[in-house]
Amino acid sequence: MTEITENEDAHEFRSEAVSLWRITFGPLIWAVHFAACYGATALVCAKGGAVDGLRLGIGIGTVVALVAIVWLGWQAWRQWDLVRDRDWENDQGTGEDRHQFLGHAAFLLTVISFIGVSYVALPALLIGTCR
Amino acid sequence: MTRPSPLPVAEGPYPPTEEMLNEPVSEQEQERGKAELRAAWKTPQGWRYISAVNNTEVGVWYALTAFGFMLLAGLLALAMRVQLAFPGMTFLDADRFNQFFTMHGSAMMFLFAVPMFEAISILLLPAFLGARDMPFPRLSAYGYWCFLIGGCFVMGSLLFDAGPKAGWFMYPPLATNEEGVGPDIWLLGLSFIEVASIAAAVELIVGALKCRPPGMRVNIMPLYAWYVMVVGGMILFAFPPLIAGDFLFELQRSFDWPFFDPERGGDPILWQHLFWIFGHPEVYIVFLPSIAIAAMIVPTVARRPIVGYSWIVLSAVGTGFLSFGLWVHHMFTTGLPQMSLAFFSAASEAVVIPTGIQLFAFIATLMVGRVRMSLPMLWIAGALAIFVAGGLTGVMLAIVPFNWQAHDTYFVVAHLHYTLFGGMVFPVIAGVYYFYPFFAKKLLSERLGRWSFWLIFTGFNVTFLPMHLTGLMGMPRRVFTYPESSGWGTLNLISTIGAFVVAAGFAVFVYDLLRPKSRQGQIPRNPWDAGTLDFSHDVPEEAWGVRSVPYITSRYPLWDQPKLVERMDAGRYYLPDAPDHQRETIVTSVIDAKPIYVQRVTGPAWITIWAAIFTGGAFIFPTFHIYKPAIVCGAFAIVCVLYWLWTSTARPPKDEMRAAGLGLRLPTYTSGPDAVGWWGMWITMLGDATAFASIVFGFFFYWTARPDFPPAGADHAIGTWVAAAALLGVLAWAATLLAREVNRRGNVMLARLALGLAPLSAAAAATAAWLAVRDLDPVSHVYPAILWALMVWLVVHLCAGIIMQCYCLAGSLFGKVTPRHDADLRNVTLYWHFVALKVLVTAALLGLVPGWLP
Repeated sequence: MTEITENEDAHEFRSEAVSLWRITFGPLIWAVHFAACYGATALVCAKGGAVDGLRLGIGIGTVVALVAIVWLGWQAWRQWDLVRDRDWENDQGTGEDRHQFLGHAAFLLTVISFIGVSYVALPALLIGTCR
Repeated sequence: MTRPSPLPVAEGPYPPTEEMLNEPVSEQEQERGKAELRAAWKTPQGWRYISAVNNTEVGVWYALTAFGFMLLAGLLALAMRVQLAFPGMTFLDADRFNQFFTMHGSAMMFLFAVPMFEAISILLLPAFLGARDMPFPRLSAYGYWCFLIGGCFVMGSLLFDAGPKAGWFMYPPLATNEEGVGPDIWLLGLSFIEVASIAAAVELIVGALKCRPPGMRVNIMPLYAWYVMVVGGMILFAFPPLIAGDFLFELQRSFDWPFFDPERGGDPILWQHLFWIFGHPEVYIVFLPSIAIAAMIVPTVARRPIVGYSWIVLSAVGTGFLSFGLWVHHMFTTGLPQMSLAFFSAASEAVVIPTGIQLFAFIATLMVGRVRMSLPMLWIAGALAIFVAGGLTGVMLAIVPFNWQAHDTYFVVAHLHYTLFGGMVFPVIAGVYYFYPFFAKKLLSERLGRWSFWLIFTGFNVTFLPMHLTGLMGMPRRVFTYPESSGWGTLNLISTIGAFVVAAGFAVFVYDLLRPKSRQGQIPRNPWDAGTLDFSHDVPEEAWGVRSVPYITSRYPLWDQPKLVERMDAGRYYLPDAPDHQRETIVTSVIDAKPIYVQRVTGPAWITIWAAIFTGGAFIFPTFHIYKPAIVCGAFAIVCVLYWLWTSTARPPKDEMRAAGLGLRLPTYTSGPDAVGWWGMWITMLGDATAFASIVFGFFFYWTARPDFPPAGADHAIGTWVAAAALLGVLAWAATLLAREVNRRGNVMLARLALGLAPLSAAAAATAAWLAVRDLDPVSHVYPAILWALMVWLVVHLCAGIIMQCYCLAGSLFGKVTPRHDADLRNVTLYWHFVALKVLVTAALLGLVPGWLP
């Protein structure tokens, strides 16, 4: 049993605020990558510019995004801590399970974001012109 | 001047121990608590009933109204099917047919699908969370009345042969040039409802984040709450672009500002972008909460916890994000660059993955569980079958070359009906069967339910399966008739017959829903043996929501916490009484659901109805180009809302602490990020910022899409005034911030002074912004028009900010805002952070960017 004290609550809130946002970081990278690809293509294709430069830029951006996602995924994997306790469900009402659950969800979201970023980059690999 | 003491925080033992929970509550205590709660939560009787704001009343009204609009829209579809049954029919003329298909789509989307999600969530979310009510009940009621007024207005236009007829996505130039008031009714009537949707989204997000019972950490909250949070977030980012689009569209309709007129530099494609940035996420906004119902039914039916809880969370969040990268797949034939199309094609294929994952999770749960085939499960099974078929044609349509062939044919009609029936209609009906005992305290008939299911399921497939073929044979959608030589006659006749079978199924369902069930007697409390808190409800009904707010340690508390219901009923848990006869609910922290404070919840009121009526006037009069009464109505609406806020929100409490049960003492007032009002403001402003960003997007869109933006030799905004607007706007923000800080430190006089200066500075900023563009002619070209639009947007927000500053000043003068009780001032400062951002961005666009554009 614990007393709810002001300090503890404030501390809890800080750590909470970070971890709830963290699960969306993977998809957010996808969103930024997607918007950047779309915006850059619209700009280059409308205003004229080197399509090869665009494709190279998208390639570099994609690599950066994927590296960032892998890094996030690694962090989340460690937070999930599957290897140690083999807990796939994290369904107990404890601080530990909440912590690992958020890692689990964030990890899965980085996987889907990795796939999403890879898909979205394919057109730049396969299509060589604006028309 | 001394620094005021800080507000008290929660104190006492938490979490409760088993010993504390085992201690019995005396009979006398129980009776006292019950009597107090009954008095506090009494539903108004007789004609006063409509002033109720309790989620169980408003939710039911909301759902029934949305269902009524759905039936009307369904009748429109039946009429269209009759017209298309044979070639050359003359049942409807072309004009009425156009009105019918436009209204069928618009009503199904805006008056049924989205409001139905809000209705069901308002009704059920507090029950899932063991909360007494939503955090802002009057906001729900206001949203409902807005919806009712707006919906009747939009649907009513059909009776006067004045309905919109350009299709539910209102493409310009067809819709901008359309004669009559049809498009205006669509734009203003639905904008009004969109505002109500955003209000509901704010309410639901805050509800899911802050009103969970103590102990219900994020990893054990019901999946429905996860979905509600994701969908609420999606509404915040999807609806505002449409509102921004409506704003530009209506400016063109009313004042001839040429946003979508290519002859004066506009571009109709911008509307398509804004519409579909809304329109595609909208599909998922409709789908996710319905599938969330499946996520609640499947574990009950399988009699085991859901398999892959985290995977479903992944699926909900992932779909929420990816669904924003699909909008251009509605625009594959507009001539965008191939590479751009391919990005959207790729994202459209990617979204299949999270969508599929959740379906597999359901199937896995059913496979490992001991399934008891109940009526709700029958509907869920039908939903899965139909949705998968619709999803597969979606994969086909996401491929660009196939899409070019099938574009605007009946193939698309078949696809979208498969996704919406499978993804929305069937799960919602399953939900009605499943939750009917919860909200009506009766059971629906098993026999009629099976009849209804098989009629609708068969009829649906008979109607829409042939449409794939009709479409591939080349029949375009939205034609009012076709020649016999086309060879589409037989397929169309089959579809029409199927449509009547669907209608028969709905007739059975409606009869079952509404027939009197008084002979049924009292039903069991948990007829499906569900594990979630909703089935701890009271039979017969009590208006208090939960007898006491439980302490939760499991995803399926009714299965895993054996004495839970007994203890809830005895009032062993939190807030088991209401000594002041006030409505209250408990507010907890975002992630771990630790109790923070006790929130006063507002009770029955007429003011919400008045506010909705006047808001309606403000939107409806401009449809007919009558502006003075509209302005008067707008002013009255503001007065109503201010009255409602002033009299019943964030008042300094009589007692600072409240014994909340189990030895826990909780504060009764809080401000800043702990308070639900702060979250409401923050979330609303996110949506508002999205709408603003959409207009900014428009500015840059014109620049990329048009060679003449800005046109050569154009007049620009006057730099000095732009700079003055920026400076004064920032000053108004700084004064507000200063007021918050000095007020908190106890220097009330300085705070009042700052709050007196801030509105003056804001008013001067608004004037300067107007002076900056006053000499430009918005009718002449899209460049001055978009500068004007940005100015209007800014001025409106500055005016709202001025009202808020004056509200805080008045609060300070009359003792509502004090150094310790500064929730209003904190929320207003948060609003002003966003206004400051808008001031700077607008000033940059008006003054700097035109010079930088190459």
